[in-house]
This record gives sequence, structure tokens and C-alpha cells, in this order.
Amino acid sequence: MAEPIRAEGLVRRFGDITAVDGIDLAINEGEIYGFLGPNGAGKSTCVRMLVTLLTPTAGKAYVAGFDVVSDANMVRANIGVALQDAAIDPLMTGRELLRLQAVLHGIGKSEGEERSERLLDRVGLTDAADRRVGQYSGGMRRRLDLALALMHEPNVLFLDEPTTGLDPMSRLNLWEELRRLNTELGTTVFLTTQYLEEADELAHRIGIIDDGKIVREGDTGTLKEQVGCPTLRLDVDPEHVEATMEIACKFGEPRPSRSGRVAVGLEQGASAMTELLRLLDDRGIVVQHLELDEPSLDDVFAEATGRRLEGSSEHVAGEIAEDGSAGAEGLIP
Amino acid sequence: MTSVEVSQDISRSPRTFTLQSAALSYRAIVRFFRQPAAWVPGIFFPLMLLAVNSASMGRVADIPGILPPGTSFLMYLIPAVVIQGVLFGGIAGGSEMARDIQTGFFDRLLSSPVARPAILIGRLAGSMAFGAFLAVLFQLVAWPFGGDVIGGLAGRLVLVVVAVILSLAMGALAAGIAARTAQEETVQAFFPLVFILLFLSSCFFPIVLMSGWYQTVAEYNPLTFMADGMRYQVLYGFSWSEAGKAIGVASILAVLGLVFASAQIRYRIRNAS
Repeated sequence: MAEPIRAEGLVRRFGDITAVDGIDLAINEGEIYGFLGPNGAGKSTCVRMLVTLLTPTAGKAYVAGFDVVSDANMVRANIGVALQDAAIDPLMTGRELLRLQAVLHGIGKSEGEERSERLLDRVGLTDAADRRVGQYSGGMRRRLDLALALMHEPNVLFLDEPTTGLDPMSRLNLWEELRRLNTELGTTVFLTTQYLEEADELAHRIGIIDDGKIVREGDTGTLKEQVGCPTLRLDVDPEHVEATMEIACKFGEPRPSRSGRVAVGLEQGASAMTELLRLLDDRGIVVQHLELDEPSLDDVFAEATGRRLEGSSEHVAGEIAEDGSAGAEGLIP
Repeated sequence: MTSVEVSQDISRSPRTFTLQSAALSYRAIVRFFRQPAAWVPGIFFPLMLLAVNSASMGRVADIPGILPPGTSFLMYLIPAVVIQGVLFGGIAGGSEMARDIQTGFFDRLLSSPVARPAILIGRLAGSMAFGAFLAVLFQLVAWPFGGDVIGGLAGRLVLVVVAVILSLAMGALAAGIAARTAQEETVQAFFPLVFILLFLSSCFFPIVLMSGWYQTVAEYNPLTFMADGMRYQVLYGFSWSEAGKAIGVASILAVLGLVFASAQIRYRIRNAS
């Protein structure tokens, strides 16, 4: 199969609002592609077009080799979909829903029953299979949702924020299951998430979407390398924040940071930290706490969009620097 | 387990379409009966009206020429409570559809290769099953209190058939509203209108005892045609022509309802956000 997911100039407008603004995608077979972006960036709208729930305003998209508009039924037959907020009927049991899913995909009764049992076992819901879904925990619902999406053994799996609202243990379990699926079956996974850690852990390649556009794309290692230098974060007395920023900026570009903290990308690498600390000491500035971080996906996101994804109320370092106040106040969320 | 590439459009297969419709119908029926709040009012309120109206207006039967000899006002009311229950059930079915849209289950169906008409058929099956259930239940409840059906088994069957077709009509209308608005509250707000329509008909009171505009509206109200056709089976005996009249009017409403619902579901699919 050629690229299981391909999009060319995909656009979706709602009245005057452009939710998705000319997206190109080329996702390889067996790849886990992480689609990362804040709420309202256009992730779900893009997924809804790819799974045929929404007609694109412009552009083309092909999933499993079929056009999402002219061959929508063929796309539906070849994809598994688990949308945001697991839409699972709370009045039905897990087993009833799996059998319904089997019929919807044209799977015969005995084969459907066999697959249901296998999937229930796979996602660890055999004991709860005859309980109504309304009695399931959030993690159990998500696992059932995944099992439903896998009933017809699809080539391509779309997961729209699959771990939103889950506790950490349920999230880890779901990640493990997704890795297993991808490794054992070679299923191509298109995963949207607003969690950096999730994208970092699972995705072979990441696309960062902001305001309906893909602003960065690549494998996580390359993206981090592109951001370049490590980030030094310093906590100082509030009255010294401005002076600290002034000194820090001699060693590199300021980075977004929380209130009362100065962050800078060290262009000469971690070795520049000693010199920076010496200059601060010369000015009588006491460093209360410091952290040195290698580039993270969060830095990639911030560099690409000017915002932090988790705790997005933080401001852009560059904007602050421009107002002449050495930035410290502007960096405060 | 390995990934499987599907190369045929299964939604065009008549066999798959039938199985999909049956599976979605099963879900609708199971869901409906697992929610007492959806069906208890449809049983309780009509039975309450049957008890209250037959007791308070029972002497209507004494007025010459209103009811045939040997019958009672309780018998007169049997078609009315069946229709009332069916209208309740239809609205409950429409609310279910709105809930499916709100919770995302509708999207789950749309992202699967299910034939689109199967979604509507499956949704309406719950309303139709409830309509049949009510028609049987109300006849059984009325029987020990003198609520016999002179038309016998054939007459009783007519009541069930009309109830099922009217359920289809009402369910389709409510499903159409649900598809358009995706709001349970809007579907339920439709209920008072239906209730007024019910009382502006011959369902609960003979038309000959009405007067003025009220009588005119009642004469042309489609519910009157259905109530009168069903009532003939109860009070006089089985009649093909009267059965045909009730079934015919119910069928016209069902066709109109289905056209409306199909159009609104197409609108929902086209304008999804």
C-alpha cells in the first residue's frame, strides 16, 4: 500500500473561520504519527475530514488509498476510529457493542463473536464484558473504544486524544497497548494529542499544528536538534529578574518561562553556564534555584508557535524583549 | 490478528444492509426498555387518563346515538390511550436520537461503513416496538374492566398495526427534529404541541358533542381519522374499510415523517461540524 494517509492542501472553513488551513500530510505505512497542538488548533477538524465525517472545503485527502470524498465508504471500511470523548453507549454492555460493531463492518456472527472475545482479552475487559458500559471507569471505556476500533482489523487507526481525562496508570496502559498494536500488526496510527509526553513516547514522527497550519514536522530527535541549545532556567529574587535577564541574554535567546524565573537558550551549550553564573555572582545576584534542560518537545512547540502547550498562558519571550523591559514581567503567565 | 484490506463497499450489499438494520434496531429496542424514564410516562399517563376520563365522563354513553348499545365510554377511550402512548413513545425515540448525536455515537456510526438508511431504520425500530407493546398492553389492562374489543382478534390486530405505523410516523418526525437540532430539549418541547393536537381530535370526546371551530378542527385532524377507524373495531366490530382508513392515514403520516427525517439526517451529515 502507498502512503496510508496523504493530504494535499486540505482546508476546512466554518463561515469566516478557517479551522484547517492548507495542510499537507504524507504518513508512511506502519508509522505512528503524532498530531500535536493546543485546543482549537484544528487537530480534530483535520481528523474528522480524514475519517469522512466532514467534507473538506478545499484540497484532497486519501486514506488507505481511497479518496475521502469520492470513496468515503471504502475509507470507512478500512479505518478504525476512536474519537475524542469515547462515544460509547452507556446502556449497552461491552460485548453487545463489540458485536454491533462487527455487524456494522459486515463481519459474520461466529467470526464477530470470536473476534469480540479475542479483543476483550486483549484490552483486559473479559471480566467486565457483560456489564453495562455506564459502570466502566474512564480507562475501561477508552480500552473498549480501542477494541471497537480494531474489530475489523483496520490498516489505519485514527485516535483523537485517546488519553484525555485518563489517570496516569490508565494512560500508561493505553500507550503500551498502542505500541503493541503498532509493533505486532504494523497498524498505521494517526494520533492527535495535546500531551507532549504522549507524542514523545509514542510517535515516530510528529506534526505540530497551530492555527490550522502545520508549523513543524519531523521525527522527535530531529525536531529537538533543530531547537538546538539547552535551556537554563534560573530562579532569582524578584528585584533581580530584570538584571538577570540582561546578563542571560548575552548567552543566548530568552525562552518562555513562568513568573519570577529567567530562562535562556545557551547558544554555546551547557559549558556557558559557569561563565553566566560568575557574572551574576559579580553583580551580587544570588541564584536560588537553577535547572538545565536539554531541548524538549515543549521547546520545539514553543519555538514553532511562541507558546507553551501545557500551561499555554505563558507569553513569548521575544515579545517581552521587544517592550524594552528586559522581559521578566512579560514572561510571567 | 493481522490488518485486513477491504476492497468491496459492503454498505451496498442488501444482506449487510438488512443485518445492520436489524442490529441497530436491536440496540434501539434494548436501550429503550433499559430506561424506564423513557417508557414509564408513555404507559402511566395514558392509563391515568383512561381511568379518570372513563369515570368522570362515563355517562356520555347514556346519551342516545353516541355509542352503540352494550358498549361503554371506557371502550370508546381505548384507541385514544393507544394513540397518546404512541405519541409519547415517538418523542422519547426522537430524544434518543438527539442523545446519540450529542454523545458522539452518531459520529461513530457515520465513521463506519453502515448504510445510511439503516441508521434511521434502527432508530425507528425502538419506537415501533414500543407502539406495538402499548397497543397490546392497553387492551389487556382495559379488558377486565369491561374494555372489550367487539371486532375480536382481527379488530385488536388493527389497533396494533395502526399503533406501529403511527409510531413510525411520530418517531420519524421526532428523529427529523433531533437530526436538525441535536437537542433533546427541543424534541421534548414538541410534546405540548402534540398533546394539543390529541385533544383537538375525537380521541377523548365524540365530535358530535363539540361545537364551532373546535369541532371543525377535530373533524379534519388526522388523529381523528385514526382514532375513529380504530374505534370502529372496538365498538362495532371488524371492518376492512374503517381499518383501511386508519391504516391509510397513519401510512401517509409515516411517509411524510420518513421523507422529513431522511432530509434532516442528510442535512446533519452534510453540515456536521
